[in-house]
Amino acid sequence: MKRPKDMFKWQTISGDKVTVGDVTVTPQSQALTIRWPNGGLVWNRPAAVLVERGEQTERIPIVDVTRIAQLGLLGLSLVFTTMAIVLSVRRRRE
Amino acid sequence: MSEEFNKIVATAVKNQEQAAELVEKLFAVAQPGAVYGEPVTVGEYTVITASEVNVGMGFGFGLGGGSGRGGRRRRVSEDKPQDEEGEAGIGGGGGGGGASAGRPVAVISVGPEGVQVEPVVDPTKIALAFFTTLGSMFFMLSKMRKARQG
Repeated sequence: MKRPKDMFKWQTISGDKVTVGDVTVTPQSQALTIRWPNGGLVWNRPAAVLVERGEQTERIPIVDVTRIAQLGLLGLSLVFTTMAIVLSVRRRRE
Repeated sequence: MSEEFNKIVATAVKNQEQAAELVEKLFAVAQPGAVYGEPVTVGEYTVITASEVNVGMGFGFGLGGGSGRGGRRRRVSEDKPQDEEGEAGIGGGGGGGGASAGRPVAVISVGPEGVQVEPVVDPTKIALAFFTTLGSMFFMLSKMRKARQG
C-alpha cells in the first residue's frame, strides 16, 4: 500500500536549456501525478520560461488563456446560479 | 487441473507485469520533454511550442476457481459412476482503459527582439463554454420566472 505522499505528486521541473545567440531559455513545467495500484493519471502543463541573458535572469510565465476563459465563464455561471437560488429563497420567505 | 491452473496464473502474472510496465511508461509524460516541443529555427527566429498534456489509465485482473464437494460427488443414479469427480473450474479475466489528450497552450519565440511568449487561444473551447454558460443562465431565469408565476 502506497503512502498518500507517493500517490500524489505536484512538482515543477526544468527542461533542457536552449541557447540561441546570447540568450539561454530554460522551459519549466508543472506536473500533477496521481498513482494508484493499478493505474495512474498525469496532468502536465507548461509553467514558465527562464530567460538568461548575461548576468540577468528573467522568468516569463506562460498564461493559458483558454483555461482562464473557461474558468471565468464557469465562475460566472456559478455566481449567477447562486444569486438566482438566494433570490428565489428570499422571495419564498417574503 | 493443477497444470491448467498454473498456466492461467502464469499468464495473469505476465499480463499484470506488462500492464505495470505500461503504467511506468505513462509517468514519463510528467517530464518537461512531453510539454515542450523540439526547437525549430527559421531564419533569425527559434520557435518552441508548449502544450498541456493529460494522460490517465487503469487496469484490473481477476482470477478464481472452485469445485463442488471436495472434487467428488456421490452416486446419484445407476447410470452415473459411483465416484464421479465433481465439477471444478477456474477462470480469470482482465481489462484496462486509458485516455490521453494534448492541447497547445503557447508558442515561445526567441529572436532579435528577445524572448516572446505568444498564447494559443482555442476559440472552439471558449465558444462551447460560453454557450453552456448562456444556456445555464437562461435555464435558471426560466425556472425563476415559473416560480414567481406559480
